[in-house]
Formats: sequence, structure tokens, C-alpha cells
Amino acid sequence: MASSDVVRYRSPLRSLVNVLVAIFLVIYVVWTVLPLFVMFVSSFKDLLEAFKLPTVGDWSGITLFFDFTPTVKHYQSLFLDHNFSVYLFNSIVASAGSALISVVLGAMCAYSLSRINFRGKQDLFFWIISTRMAPVVAVMVPLYAIFRGAGLVGTIPGLILAYTTFNLPFAIWMLKGFFDNVPYAIEEAQMCDGATRFRAFLSILPLVAPGVGAFLVLCILFAWNDFLFASIIGSGGAKTLPVATKELVQPQNIQWGSIMAAGVVTTLPMMFLGLLIRRYLVAGLTMGAVKE
Amino acid sequence: MASVTIDHVWKYYGKTEAVKDLNLKCADGEFLSVLGPSGCGKSSTLRMLAGLEHISAGDIRFGERRINDLPPKDRDIAMVFENYALYPHKTVRENIANSLMLRGASRATIEQKVKKATELLQIGHLLQRKPQELSGGQKQRVAIGRAIVREPQLFLFDEPIAHLDAKLRAHMRGELKIMQRELGTTMIYVTHDQLEALSMADRIAVMHEGVLQQFGTPQEIYDHPVNEWVAGFVGEPPMNFVDCLIEDRGGVLHAVHPSFAVPVTGSQEAILRDSAHRAEVRMGIRPDQIGIVTGDGGDAVAAQILLTEPLGGDMLVDAAVGQEKFLVKTKPDFQGRRGDACRLAFDTGRWHLFDRDTGLAYF
Ligand SMILES: Nc1ncnc2c1ncn2[C@@H]1O[C@H](COP(=O)(O)OP(=O)(O)OP(=O)(O)O)[C@@H](O)[C@H]1O
Ligand SMILES: [Mg+2]
Repeated sequence: MASSDVVRYRSPLRSLVNVLVAIFLVIYVVWTVLPLFVMFVSSFKDLLEAFKLPTVGDWSGITLFFDFTPTVKHYQSLFLDHNFSVYLFNSIVASAGSALISVVLGAMCAYSLSRINFRGKQDLFFWIISTRMAPVVAVMVPLYAIFRGAGLVGTIPGLILAYTTFNLPFAIWMLKGFFDNVPYAIEEAQMCDGATRFRAFLSILPLVAPGVGAFLVLCILFAWNDFLFASIIGSGGAKTLPVATKELVQPQNIQWGSIMAAGVVTTLPMMFLGLLIRRYLVAGLTMGAVKE
Repeated sequence: MASVTIDHVWKYYGKTEAVKDLNLKCADGEFLSVLGPSGCGKSSTLRMLAGLEHISAGDIRFGERRINDLPPKDRDIAMVFENYALYPHKTVRENIANSLMLRGASRATIEQKVKKATELLQIGHLLQRKPQELSGGQKQRVAIGRAIVREPQLFLFDEPIAHLDAKLRAHMRGELKIMQRELGTTMIYVTHDQLEALSMADRIAVMHEGVLQQFGTPQEIYDHPVNEWVAGFVGEPPMNFVDCLIEDRGGVLHAVHPSFAVPVTGSQEAILRDSAHRAEVRMGIRPDQIGIVTGDGGDAVAAQILLTEPLGGDMLVDAAVGQEKFLVKTKPDFQGRRGDACRLAFDTGRWHLFDRDTGLAYF
């Protein structure tokens, strides 16, 4: 195999490009990281301190930004007065639950679609992906009507079901690609060795595990960050973090400190998860790219 | 152990007929080889035996038991796959022990059987490696090890040594044959290499385009091919074929070609006269059934040397007889050179005549 190092030659154009790339990266980092940083720092500030801003053009005034006495009162108020522990729990259960169900059902469905030929398979497969083609907003009203009829509005199972509806087709589509890449002969060998069909399926799971794991995280992210479903289907009994955060914005008294703290509570777990599985995420999602 | 009966078996893939009306009977403990060129339906046959492929029509029985509807795990077979099919995420040891673990064997039994198999295959030093850290030959031996640990009632080997180098292949031929004799397990061994089939099998089933051509011992297949196709496929270097006419010359039947006329032997004449033979035949003779001497004259067939290929122990000579070319196998001390005149003597006791239309052998 050819080495994957990029061959570089020194030239004026090259140095110019390097400088431009560096500038771009700096802007990019500021653009993406600064809001998070401001959010994080502000969540530990008193309201007055949070709005102490230097005048425009006064660069030395930037120290004002760090001139504050840290306080955790916003976090206290979130969890003591605003029930955020319940919302955090709702968020975790709804996203992890729907992700698990989507991946387990999706894996079995994708496996069958990958391994078994039957009449109408192509049409079935297309139908499954096509359910993701309509914008979520378009199906929201009928979905709400159905869920209300079934008594699922405002319940955690309802929310899980709603997320699963949207994660499952995606899971089937992604996971089928992973299974397609595992040679069928491996399961055949397992079956000759004395495994049942289901055992054989289980035995190849380690081979698709990076992909499945990465996809599990994507499903969790989708549900965790969702606002639309949570605010409509989950309204009432199954409030999740994004919805609860939004409710801190009241006409009279916008609680910036609490909003910042809620933002931190919402973002931090996902950032940790992302860092934890970063390597697998990349390995997993590119898994199907190259055939042996 | 079990005998295997394949009874009027067909295999279709959609409209493709991969196996057509196959009938075979393999005795208990027999080493049966299925021989044929690529795409002739060998693997399809084996996969039907293993239960990996649906049997489109017909029955397969192990002993008295019909196994058409039995899943692979209940057939008590062990298969070696054409492409190894090792478990990439398991070590060599786990690969070999897999079938024993699936059957819930005890730790000690597994340990002992894995040891025995790996000793036989000389892969004891590889036990902790993963398949991607093995060479092709090592992978192939692990695949064989995985099949033999379990002592099943039937071995199904699909070109198990096709990817090895020539030397290792020759070594493995001997090893596999000894192993099968020692275990006494019925073996169905698929190969496209006639040398493997001839050297290892008790009986060979020759297949072509899904149809069984001939089923017999290696010697029968080699000495008495039933048709022109089998005659041409089995034997290395391949048989020479020449179109001839059968003519009665002075009461004796001759194979007549514009460049020569050779009388058939007495028993052959009887066969030809008994069958309603036609005048147009195809003569087939193996390179080692032709004698060659330099010089002209005599009653042998006059020829001219086109090419000599010394092969160490043997010498191959391309000789032209009129428009036809004959390949002759002779001793390395043969003195002829390109362009020399020579004479060919056909060993008419061992040659073959085939019907030119049907390809069937008269003898
Ligand atoms: N899954 C399949 N779908 C459709 N056709 C198939 C399938 N498997 C095999 N065939 C066809 O059936 C015929 C026999 O195939 P088979 O694999 O049995 O050949 P083979 O004798 O094992 O050849 P080789 O020596 O190349 O392995 C071929 O014409 C092949 O194209
Ligand atoms: Mg094959």
C-alpha cells in the first residue's frame, strides 16, 4: 500500500496557504469554543457580574470578564428549585432507551436485510429509508394526534417511542452497511461448527461492534439534543433538559445565570461521551468504507 | 461415521442450473473426491451436503437418515471453506476450539483435542495469533484444524490446499490422506486439481457443467475415461486428440488419418464391430503412450519434431504429423532436435476411440 503521508514541496504559494489555514483555524476555534467558554464561565457568575462588559475597543477591559467571585447558586437553584434532576433523568432515560431499542431492533432488521434474499426486499428497504425523507415537522401533528389517542403524550415511553420511530430507519440503513461488510462465510463456518442461526448472528457482533457503538452514540445525541419532540410529545410529564432550559426564559425575568448553568448541564455529558469514544466513533463510521 | 447418498439432486440458482441430477454414493470411511473445472458445481454440491444451501430437488441421506431439512449444526459435519472463513476476532486457539466450546466440551477435553490437532498440523506455535497475522498456508492449516478437532461423522473439504505453494501442497496431500485414514472419517473432498484427486481419493466423481461425468477409482478414471471430456481433463500433460476414420482394410479395422493408418487390437475390433459404430471417430492417446525414435522409415508414423522441453526427469516433445500436433513424453536422454524427422509408435493397447458426435468412449 502507498504511504498515506501527503508529499509537500516548499513554495511561496505553499507558505501563503499555510498562513491562511492557520488564520482560518484560529477563527474557527474562537467561533466554536468561545460561546461554550462564555457559557461555562457565566454559569458561575452572579447576574451583575455576568453583564459587566468592557466598552467597545477597550482591549485591556477584557480582564473584566475574569473579574468575578465564583458561585454555584445557579446550579443549586436548578436542582433544588427547578427539578432539574428529574429532567436530567428524563433526558438520560429517553435518549439511552430509544438508542438501545433502535440499535437492538435495527441490528436484527439490518442483519436480515443484509443476509436474506426475499421478494420485495429492495422495495421494503427503500420504504424504510423513505420514512426519514419527510421533515419531522410535517408529521408532527398527526403523530401528536396518534400519541394522544394512545395516551402516550407526556410519558417517557411515548418519548422513547417517538425517538425510536425516527432513529430506527436510520439505524437499519447504517447497520446494514456494516453487516454487508462481514463475509457471510464466517457465519456459515459457525453454523457448521454447531451454532444456531441466532448464535451465528451473535458471533459476528464483535466484528460490527465499533460501528454499532458509534451509531448508538449518534442515536443518543439525536434524542438528547432534540427539542421538537420533547416539547410536543413530552410536554407535561416527560420534560427533558432542552425543554426545561427553554422554560427558564420567562417574559418577566430571564434567568441568564440558570440558563447558562442549564446549558452546561446539557452539554457536558455529551462532550464527555464524545471525548470518551472519539476514536471508536471515527473508526466505526468509516468501517464500511474500505473492503478487504 | 456415515455413508452418504446423493439421490437425484438438483441445484438451481434462479435460472442457473448449478447441479443437474447428481447421483453419488459414498461408502462409510471412504475418501471421495469431487473433481471438475471452475464453475462446475462442486462447491454447490458440498454446500448442499453441509446444509448451507437449499437442495432444489432430490434427497441427500447420511446413512439411512434423510438430511434435506436438517440445519447444519445437526448434521454433524465439519467443513473447510474455500476462503478459510476464520473468525477474524478470535485467536487461532479460539478458532480451533470454537466447535468444541459450542458443544459445551470441558476445558480439559478442549485443551487435549486442540493440542492433538495443532501437533498434527504443526501450528502449535501460532495458537495466540489472530488470523490476520498468519500467512495463507497457515490460515489454511488453521481452517483444517478447526474441522478435525471435533471428530464429526463427515468431513467436507472445499479446495482446502488450493492456495498453498506447490511444495507445501504436495506435503499436505500426504498429511491429509494419512489423517483421513487414521481417523477413518468419511471425507468428501472438492478440488479442481486432478493431481490431488488422483493421489488422495479412493474414488473420484468427475463433474462438468453440473453433470456427473464419471464416478470411479482414480485408476478407472485415468485408464478408462467414459468420454472425451474426462479423458482430456484428467492427466497431465493432457491427452492428444486426433480426428480419424474407421476403415476396414483387408478384414482388419484401422484408424485412418491422412498421415497414417493404425490397426486396432483384436479386443477393440470386437467392441467396434459389436456397437453400431460410426466411421467418424476421435482418437485419444496420452503423451506417455507414444513411443518416439529419431530417423525415418519403418512402419511407425512419420513425424517432425517442433519443440523439445526437458523437464529434468522427463522430456516433452512436440511432434507434427501432417497438420496434427502430438505431445510425446519420453526419456530425458532423447537426442532429437527441432526440425529432425522422427517416428511415433502408438501404444494401441491403451489408446482410446471416442464417438465424434456424442464424445462417448468406445474403449
Ligand atoms: N449464490 C449463487 N447465485 C447464483 N449463481 C451461483 C451461486 N453460487 C454459484 N452459482 C453458479 O453455480 C455454478 C456452480 O458454482 P460452484 O460454486 O458450485 O462452482 P465450483 O465448481 O465450486 O467452482 P470453483 O472451482 O470456481 O469454486 C456456477 O455457474 C456459478 O456461477
Ligand atoms: Mg468452489
